[in-house]
Amino acid sequence: MPHLFSHRRATLALVTVAVTILSSSVSAPAGAQWVGYATAGVPRKADGTVDMAAAAPRMLDGKPDFSGIWTAGNPAKPKEGGDVAGNGNDIGSSRYMANMGADMKDGLPYQPWLVPIVKERTANLAIDDPHIRCLPDFFLRAYGLPHLLKFIHKPGILVVLDEMNAGYRQVFTDARALPKEPTPAWQGYSSAKWSGDTLIIDSIGFRDDTWIDWNGSVVTEAAKIREEMRRPDFGHLEIKVTVDDPKAYTKPWTVTLKQRIVVDAELIDEVCLENEQFVKRMGLEAKEKASAK
Amino acid sequence: MKPRASLLLCFSVGLASALPAVAHHSFPAQYDINKPITLTGKVTKVEWTNPHIFIYVDVADDKGGVVNWAFEMGGPNSLIRQGWKRDSLKPDDVVTMEGSLARDGSHLVNARSVTVDGRKLFAGSTGGDAPPTPAK
Repeated sequence: MPHLFSHRRATLALVTVAVTILSSSVSAPAGAQWVGYATAGVPRKADGTVDMAAAAPRMLDGKPDFSGIWTAGNPAKPKEGGDVAGNGNDIGSSRYMANMGADMKDGLPYQPWLVPIVKERTANLAIDDPHIRCLPDFFLRAYGLPHLLKFIHKPGILVVLDEMNAGYRQVFTDARALPKEPTPAWQGYSSAKWSGDTLIIDSIGFRDDTWIDWNGSVVTEAAKIREEMRRPDFGHLEIKVTVDDPKAYTKPWTVTLKQRIVVDAELIDEVCLENEQFVKRMGLEAKEKASAK
Repeated sequence: MKPRASLLLCFSVGLASALPAVAHHSFPAQYDINKPITLTGKVTKVEWTNPHIFIYVDVADDKGGVVNWAFEMGGPNSLIRQGWKRDSLKPDDVVTMEGSLARDGSHLVNARSVTVDGRKLFAGSTGGDAPPTPAK
């Protein structure tokens, strides 16, 4: 079992955090060995590193299996060491985490009413962000936040577990129709079908003012979102996202989000409300109470 | 395996990134990365909780008294992955903490590094998420 404190593991470059260890380590207790438990079925090269380019695994029905633990693969900062598997110590964030329209020449095509709102949220550093208040992260946003996602995939359903706040999302692949009058939900409602080896996921039924990035860009109840999800090889997921939300945007827009595989790691409790202090320390509670009167 | 020599654990946060230091919340709204601070004192309390671990340290002031400072760290999951345990720091441990001062002048620091003499390895990160510097 990999030694948790090996020098190889000890020096890691995070997207926004670097950890330097100047000396060597102690052995891991049994509890820590659960944390670094070796993932089964990982294709490896002769040197023991993960073969990221190996063929993607398949389910018994022959379709690509998206199961695994994933982290953002559109890095905000290129990862030191190149395109290698994550191990939980190098959880990344996406450059789309801050701005989903980062690669669009003119940014996201906001409707006029949304422009000043996004401008204010960006200027006040997302102080009203639902994420800060420990509310669920929307699935589009979760692809780019530095929290592990665990995909559990079998014929009929793809379940995504979000380490942050023990969140979950269900994508049904049993050909069910989307609901006609959905009650708005934090992750909406998702139904998918295969087109070759690409899973086409259609989702509706979102809450108004659902944040999709730190700038405060949103999707609304009117949004329809299509994800074209594929696993080109063992180490990567590619998700071409098209958002059609005429209430929030003047036209549909598309972005391709990527995920990188994480091995020999496991989800660990990250329940935000346990001891969230930012709101209290910034005096936001008092301000909110005052403005509510 | 017996413990090795003490280590300086550095988790540099956001130095070379376009994003400011990582946090569950807005780092730049709460902390000033241009106000680095280094303090040494005795640990009085460890809050091993999500979304951020807090270490409280009694630090001597220049008036002969003692002030209790709060140091915000990463979450338990990211520190556990770096090898931390809940009792890696305990009350009465002497530590040197380095980080960025809170903007509001309170005795609060977003910690970047922990140094403990003569103790076992510590490794940690403030792995998390934070909004970018405001768009210009």
